[in-house]
Amino acid sequence: MSQRKKRFDWVTFGFIAPSFLLFTLFIIVPTVSSVYYSFTSWDGISPNVNFIGLKNYIEIFTSARFGNALRNTIILTVFISVLENAFALVLALAVDNVKWGKNFFRSAFYIPVLISGIVSGFIWKIMYNYNFGALNSLLKGIGLGDFCKDWLGTPAYALIMVGVVLVWKGAGYYMIIYLASLQSISTDIIEAAKIDGASSWQRFKSITVPLISGAFTINFTLSLINGLKVFDQISVMTDGGPGFTTETVVYLLYKVGFGEGRQGFGTAVGMVLLFVILILNTAQQKFLRSREVQM
Amino acid sequence: MNKTVLSDGEHKLHKISKVPMILLLIVTAVAAVIFLFPVFFALISAFKSNGDILKSPMALPTSVYTQNFKDLFSQSDFLGAIKNSLILTVVSEILIVCIVPMAAYGIERRASKVTSVIYTYFLAGMMIPFHLYMFPLFKELKMFGLYGTLTGPILCYVSGAVAFGSLMYCSFLKGIPLEIEEAARIDGCNPFQVFFKVTFPLLAPCTASMVVLNGLGIWNDFLMPYLVLPSGQAKTITAEVYSFVGQYTARWDIVFAGTVISIVPALVIFICLQKYFVKGITAGAAKG
Repeated sequence: MSQRKKRFDWVTFGFIAPSFLLFTLFIIVPTVSSVYYSFTSWDGISPNVNFIGLKNYIEIFTSARFGNALRNTIILTVFISVLENAFALVLALAVDNVKWGKNFFRSAFYIPVLISGIVSGFIWKIMYNYNFGALNSLLKGIGLGDFCKDWLGTPAYALIMVGVVLVWKGAGYYMIIYLASLQSISTDIIEAAKIDGASSWQRFKSITVPLISGAFTINFTLSLINGLKVFDQISVMTDGGPGFTTETVVYLLYKVGFGEGRQGFGTAVGMVLLFVILILNTAQQKFLRSREVQM
Repeated sequence: MNKTVLSDGEHKLHKISKVPMILLLIVTAVAAVIFLFPVFFALISAFKSNGDILKSPMALPTSVYTQNFKDLFSQSDFLGAIKNSLILTVVSEILIVCIVPMAAYGIERRASKVTSVIYTYFLAGMMIPFHLYMFPLFKELKMFGLYGTLTGPILCYVSGAVAFGSLMYCSFLKGIPLEIEEAARIDGCNPFQVFFKVTFPLLAPCTASMVVLNGLGIWNDFLMPYLVLPSGQAKTITAEVYSFVGQYTARWDIVFAGTVISIVPALVIFICLQKYFVKGITAGAAKG
């Protein structure tokens, strides 16, 4: 913000008012009312809303269904974040170093990011299909027919197979951030290290890695938060099933809210989600500040 | 930092000799094929009959088969869905690029204690997940009579863009010299004229990034239009594709035609405006 402080006047108000009004009305007001609704047994339709104190929160932390959803969310989120970052970093290094077709490769890896969650979920659902899917055809084609499976119908695989779609769809986004970070490293440092006789592995380990650690922190936090919020692919691919094996916290929130008419409880689940996101964000800020890394 | 992203070949981190270079190229190309395969698969399937999709999923279409698209438009109101998707995206975008830079201008150029509090207030909004407040939001939309209208989602999209948008525009404004605005003021422009005639055009690169990133998000959004728009008629492209998956379990060809209509506009815009996607993402990551 500029140093010259002014008085807040009507002109300033005029500039800010439209955004302020909409933001307050459609984000803050519903968020604040969520705090209230999370203490009620509101069904989403009836006008009378009963205050039930901490009951929703007690149910959250004692119900097996929430425990299961939390477990699924943690597995899915960690799976996505680790693999997305691993792929994104490898792809960024490849695009940065490859001699021909840099722009083509960067676009190719980014294209899945452009596809909507629903559409990407549908495409992969068909590719995973037991009888007609591309994945099983491929396995049969290379003589690994014994490994064919009903990928989304088997409880042990469904969650991870949804995770694969998200990694495919998300890696390109984080690659762009890693790539920018890699390309901001000054060639002078690399040259100096070369003159000092550092091998390319030493240069990577001692120069590149520390200098992209800021991008790593940002990407890891972003992918964790996005992982927590996954919804579209689950709704189109598995609808939380088979059984409850792919029901995540957000999906549970949606199901109890719209499917079972328990929006008070759903809102309480949302509050827990917000709390986790706040912790992750604070941790990221702390970490970035403590390292004083530059992006 | 962002400038170098697009430069081709001049930046070498590690000097790599010929054989590993070719190896790297091959590995990267294989990875690209794997990443593009699902998109390719959707494209070829959209031009194949249902029988062909089931019989030989990997085969290329043998002829230009457009029956899927004809069926898509005759068996559902897909045209209505396309229209809704377009209206939601375009109108929201226009409102976003009008009011968000205005707010950022007020915060950044007319800074006071109040504006810095407002700025923090906006930034806090970035952390709130949509799923948390969607139930009360829908109740509120019903109260305002906006439930079941296109206006409801539009206002929500615009509100949703305020937090990240003001962050981006504020930091972009810092790089624009004040002298130009002062000259305009001396020439007799009022503050709003200064903003719209002088500053707003200078924000164009930032606006372009905002437009492509927000546009993609709105075009691809599912839950809001699915739940807010009236049932029994076409909603948006993604919502239609979702309902097809349940409805036409035996007609994948129709669903694939729908997915292609969803993907192609995003793809075309990305190919034309690539650098704004890259700039927006990297600037957002650096500031967020």
